[in-house]
Amino acid sequence: MERKQIGNGAYITVLDSQKFNRCRITLHFQFPANREQATAAAVLPLVLERGYADCPDMTELSRRLAKLYGADLAVDNAVNGGNRILTVDIVGICDPFALEGENLTQEYLKIALGVAFDPYLVNGVFDPEAVQIEKATLAQRLEAEINDKRSYCVRQARRKFYGSSKAGIERDGYLEELPALDAAALKRVYDEILRTATVDVMVQGANAQLVEKAVLQRLSSIDRAPAALEPATLMPRQECRHYTETFSDLVQAKLCMLFAASETLNGEKLEANRLAMALFGGSVTSRLFLNVREKQSLCYYCGSSAGVMGGVMMVDSGVEPKNAAKAEQAILHELDQLLHGPITDEELEDCRRGILSSMESVEDTLSGVENWYYMQICRGEELCSPAESRRRLLAVTKEQVRQVLAGYSLSVSYLVTAKEDAQ
Amino acid sequence: MKTNQMAVKAAEYEIITLPSGLTVQVRPMPGYSSVHAVYGTDFGSIDRFFTVDGKKVVVPEGTAHFLEHKMFESDEGDAFSLYAKTGAQANAFTSFEKTCYIFTATSQIDESLDVLLGMVGKPYFTEQTIAKEQGIIGQEIKMYDDSPDWRMLTESMRCLYSAHPIRDDIAGTVESIAQITPEMLYDCCKAFYRPGSMVLSVAGNVTKEQVLAACARAGLDQPVQQAPKVERLMPADCAGVAQSSSTLYMPVAKPCFALAYKEKPVAFGDTRRAILCDMISELICGGMTPLYRRLYDSGLVNPEFDGDFMSVRGAGCFMFSGESSEPEKVEQMIWDEIERLRREGVDEETFTLCKNQSYGSLITDLGNVEDTASAMNAAFMKGRTLSDEIAALASLTKQDADEALQTMLLRENCAVVHIYPAEA
Repeated sequence: MERKQIGNGAYITVLDSQKFNRCRITLHFQFPANREQATAAAVLPLVLERGYADCPDMTELSRRLAKLYGADLAVDNAVNGGNRILTVDIVGICDPFALEGENLTQEYLKIALGVAFDPYLVNGVFDPEAVQIEKATLAQRLEAEINDKRSYCVRQARRKFYGSSKAGIERDGYLEELPALDAAALKRVYDEILRTATVDVMVQGANAQLVEKAVLQRLSSIDRAPAALEPATLMPRQECRHYTETFSDLVQAKLCMLFAASETLNGEKLEANRLAMALFGGSVTSRLFLNVREKQSLCYYCGSSAGVMGGVMMVDSGVEPKNAAKAEQAILHELDQLLHGPITDEELEDCRRGILSSMESVEDTLSGVENWYYMQICRGEELCSPAESRRRLLAVTKEQVRQVLAGYSLSVSYLVTAKEDAQ
Repeated sequence: MKTNQMAVKAAEYEIITLPSGLTVQVRPMPGYSSVHAVYGTDFGSIDRFFTVDGKKVVVPEGTAHFLEHKMFESDEGDAFSLYAKTGAQANAFTSFEKTCYIFTATSQIDESLDVLLGMVGKPYFTEQTIAKEQGIIGQEIKMYDDSPDWRMLTESMRCLYSAHPIRDDIAGTVESIAQITPEMLYDCCKAFYRPGSMVLSVAGNVTKEQVLAACARAGLDQPVQQAPKVERLMPADCAGVAQSSSTLYMPVAKPCFALAYKEKPVAFGDTRRAILCDMISELICGGMTPLYRRLYDSGLVNPEFDGDFMSVRGAGCFMFSGESSEPEKVEQMIWDEIERLRREGVDEETFTLCKNQSYGSLITDLGNVEDTASAMNAAFMKGRTLSDEIAALASLTKQDADEALQTMLLRENCAVVHIYPAEA
């Protein structure tokens, strides 16, 4: 697998996709997070997804995608530690499955490039009407974040954990800044992203040479000056801070615990981290699942995960409001037991087998393959196949698992609970 | 719509009925590493009243889901610990009319199939293990209680139906699952977990011989001595809707709404009608329609606004739902659009585009191991195959949609549900 440089801060990675009946073209634009531009960067995907110069109308674009047998176009922004990623991707069925012999792949490329590089403009800026509509859509989304209490609790915990650091800049922007955002400001942020982002094109099942040529042609008209990307975030260790937020009529409380990492994990430590998460709370044979959920019945769900670029380990759980404090103690107890108590060969190997199996199935979906390699690119690593990672995972020892877990310290514990129970 | 021979061939797979009555579907997928298996029974949350060999059985709300949880336990321990020895990722789910046990694995496939067929074939329940599960499922029920989408679905069904068990929450209530006894669970197993009412669907890096050998090891290649006589009993429901509106209050940011229409269920094996019904909501308010555009551009709905059709034994419904600060206005616009389409007919081009979209979706399923096994299983439970679905889709015409609109989505069969923000 090779990530080939095709221009200044621009790369193409061609991934094997022979067995699939669909193909996929993705353009990733990665850039350092910027507080002043965060709200515009959040509105941008919504405006871009509405249409582009050759197909400005949102409904017409939907119809064009339907004509291509329901090709799926998505424009998103994502968090990668202190960096943000604007992604345009299109996926659809391969040409041999077309009913009229159409060249579908060529159409997918036209749409993806059009959306990414040729937006619909009115007097040199985004269509003000579209911007207005999408600002309203984003405002609704921001206002509605309390509807799903699980994700709301995680967001609130992250806000406390990252504070004003770059990793904490809101992916979805800031509600109070939306009214002042206009079409011209949005265009300036878009131009800045095209100029400064590291561009990664991932191709699966389309003509890579054609894609490369077309991307280079678009980039040649931009005065490119790729910005240095932020290294992985490491938040300072500090005494755990507890927060409680209450709602009326809430039935189940949500508890999110965020642990700060002491170092940026790479190489073999990444595989040790995978195994550590599976053992602590990332699988049905984990300590959190078996002991906190099954034996103690303290939570319906209780799982752990780690974000390497964000320098964080998260445990989130749904708990009986009156049991929240007990659940937190039980979670910390399980971590302590892994650090200082015995780890059996059986539980370690059970978890290892589960991860090995998951790694092998990564290559069974287009998105699985792409995510596998793009995540490595985001972490600044050399590309490594799932097979190579499996070999490294096989060598991970209990001691390495303990070392990884010892690097995490509890920093924030956020509880969303029922008003009646908190009183 | 033309037919693509490559698609027709891709949708083919083997279906075998074993002497025990078990149906086995296998689709090997060359080049793939993983295997996905779905072992399902047509027993879901709505199956609360039935007879087994003449004995009438009535089970509380949430029994099928409770049984799904308990099926992971045996006198040898729980199935998760057995799967841990094979590296398989296992799970299960219960819907209104079926329960499915699944795993995905890349190695030790034979061993994982043995665990799957063994756990479902050997039920093991005691008072103690049932009591323990009540705590865990109680937590799950409470999680659903906080979900506006879930509450909206349940409340909509309660408005449409007066007696059909689709009114009940799939997981039941804390009180209802407290009434479950080992005897009830054994009765359910006897009635619905016999090989004749189950289907095993496997796709990916697997062969037919491998799957059949696993069935043989589980004794499923032998005739069943005496299959019990099972009859499902469905309470009679009212002719129209049970109630035309309902309002709930929850900690949400803005009002949520649902327009639900009571419809005749799709008959078993009626593939054309099933696919047509799935297309109709898309023709009314999908992303290609003028209604969606008006609603979206005026800020009345967000991208989560959706229309769906659902059909189960004895009940069917269309449901349009979303969030809006002006739900009444959205509801009026949907009613008006349905009336316009009934009067003027659907747009020919939009109909063709919808068909294209549905075709792409069927092809997509065939390129993914999990989706393929799940789609084969779901199709069998509805009395069809994936090839039937492609053929039925190709045969549908705009006239079919226009005719359907004359008898469906009638205002008198509609109920409205609102969820308003509770006071903080």
